[in-house]
Amino acid sequence: MAHQAHAYHMVDPSPWPLTGAIAALLMTSGLAIWFHFHSTMLMTLGLVLTLLTMYQWWRDIIREGTFQGHHTPPVQKGLRYGMILFITSEVFFFLGFFWAFYHSSLAPTPELGGCWPPTGIIPLDPFEVPLLNTAVLLASGVTVTWAHHSIMEGERKQTIQSLALTILLGFYFTALQAMEYYEAPFTIADGVYGSTFFVATGFHGLHVIIGSTFLAVCLLRQIQYHFTSEHHFGFEAAAWYWHFVDVVWLFLYVSIYWWGS
Amino acid sequence: MFRHLRTLQQVSRRTLSSSARRQLENKVPVKQKLFQEDNGMPVHLKGGTTDALLYRATMALTVFGCGYVLYALIDAALPKKKD
Repeated sequence: MAHQAHAYHMVDPSPWPLTGAIAALLMTSGLAIWFHFHSTMLMTLGLVLTLLTMYQWWRDIIREGTFQGHHTPPVQKGLRYGMILFITSEVFFFLGFFWAFYHSSLAPTPELGGCWPPTGIIPLDPFEVPLLNTAVLLASGVTVTWAHHSIMEGERKQTIQSLALTILLGFYFTALQAMEYYEAPFTIADGVYGSTFFVATGFHGLHVIIGSTFLAVCLLRQIQYHFTSEHHFGFEAAAWYWHFVDVVWLFLYVSIYWWGS
Repeated sequence: MFRHLRTLQQVSRRTLSSSARRQLENKVPVKQKLFQEDNGMPVHLKGGTTDALLYRATMALTVFGCGYVLYALIDAALPKKKD
């Protein structure tokens, strides 16, 4: 068997980049076909392929790292850089929506009544459910840090408990937001207020769901003894992503919910 | 997966229960042996038959999807004669 004389990871050839690319093509074309011809088959197929690709690709990464030992310190360093760069790109994604919000709200046009919130818009009370949501996410930031320290100290049961609590708090946030969406006195079609509100908070909510899923996968891996007290980068990546989601919410709360009301 | 959720329930409640419950065994060494076997299989197929089935299903959907999207887009691009 050939052995490598370096610490880097030369991956086996994999079909998942191809299936992922085709899935993206199917999802986007499917969206267009849905809009124009009312058929959802292409888009659904794209979605299914995306999920299959994600499951198998990440399953393979777990195999390469945890079971084959390919994630040496230099490789792990690369993974850290990768996750940080990805989160940075997401920061820029949200920056765009904040730009849109401030563009419209700092200089409200005569069509809106020259004021913000625009005439006729009843904003949500920032000191009711939105404040609870802030507390929920801040608490989840504490519990995920507790989980990290538990992993580093080799406390298996505490890790499982604190990680599970973090995920429950994430679900609680999502449930509260869903209820708020249902009960809100304005919709996405209510001018630029509705657009900026629902697009910014909507994408944030999607990221909460993604983050909760990432943490849930980490919980399953922790139960299956994948993490050691020294090596648990998958969990760290999930925790970074979760803190990012928390920070975005804080900006949303202060800008749109509080200042914007 | 549901077995793991059940185990999560058990592990979290262990201090409250007085009866002994089955603990999830650490199967990582078994997996390490399986995936480090020198059989020339790529990592996406190294787990066994399930891997191959899932791969084939994914690839079949990919090929079908490719063909279907080309058909759908070409059909959408061609002018339709009105009766």
